Amino acid sequence: MEFLFENILNLIGFLVGLTIGSMSYIGFKNTGSPTLFRLSIAFFSICVGFFVIWTGFMIEDFVIKSGHIERGVQTLGIGIQTIGYFFIAFSHGIKSFFPKSRYFRSVGMFPLFLVSLIHIENIFRSISFILLAYGAIETMLSYLESRKKGAIFVTLGLSLLAFGEFIGWYSFVFPESILYYLSISIKIAGLISLFIPVSRVPLRKIKFDEL
Amino acid sequence: MTEYRTHMKIIGEILTTTRDELADENGATITFLIRKANISHVRISRILTNLVSQGLLEQNSSQGACRYRISHSGREFLQAYQTFSKFSENFGLAI
Repeated sequence: MEFLFENILNLIGFLVGLTIGSMSYIGFKNTGSPTLFRLSIAFFSICVGFFVIWTGFMIEDFVIKSGHIERGVQTLGIGIQTIGYFFIAFSHGIKSFFPKSRYFRSVGMFPLFLVSLIHIENIFRSISFILLAYGAIETMLSYLESRKKGAIFVTLGLSLLAFGEFIGWYSFVFPESILYYLSISIKIAGLISLFIPVSRVPLRKIKFDEL
Repeated sequence: MTEYRTHMKIIGEILTTTRDELADENGATITFLIRKANISHVRISRILTNLVSQGLLEQNSSQGACRYRISHSGREFLQAYQTFSKFSENFGLAI
């Protein structure tokens, strides 16, 4: 049951990350926007992070069959996702604190996320929670300014992912409880919510010629 | 509080002006574009030179003044800009 839930979550995370990351990258290639470049790094990182965990579960399920995923693989996947969440929060940070800085707008700082593995995983989850909560608050503030309905779905998505990370972290305290499944269900809902506004972007009308 | 416009947004406004707000077929004068984009002559000159060299604007010299019209590539770029601008606004960001 745990494996099934994890596989669904990680596959949805992988697909949502890949879709949004690809769209951001197409946007970056067509407009040269640094914001879209950072969004593509963010969502490709989230996509790779979910893929690493999914691969870990599949290898465990079909090859190793020890009954639990390798802790190192899970930590690596969550760490990569955290980098993605960092870039989402970082983009908002630039907008709010460095609106005129060309340096921060061009390439940006690359994050350094360099202690037993379960501790590292907890650290990553805590950082992810903070970054996601920050991203959700900033997106909400942007909604209050622009009144773009899509921003509500992204706010809800980031909030649910943050809450899912929080519950996921708390499930370490109460292992084998319903909290774990609740965490995964909330994260799946968050990913779906993130995808809703992106699915409405009319990409088909654009002819992507070389500029 | 005044809103800070990104370089990309200014380019989007210039291209939109040359597409939607031209008084005649000859194109927009630099004075008209300065007034619409609300930026200095020095800055808009640099941007226009860049847009012409990228093939997004066409430059004509008529009646002793340079005039600018949007090119086919410029229209495609503007459409992509507007689409991805909405995309990034969903994340509360500006491109």
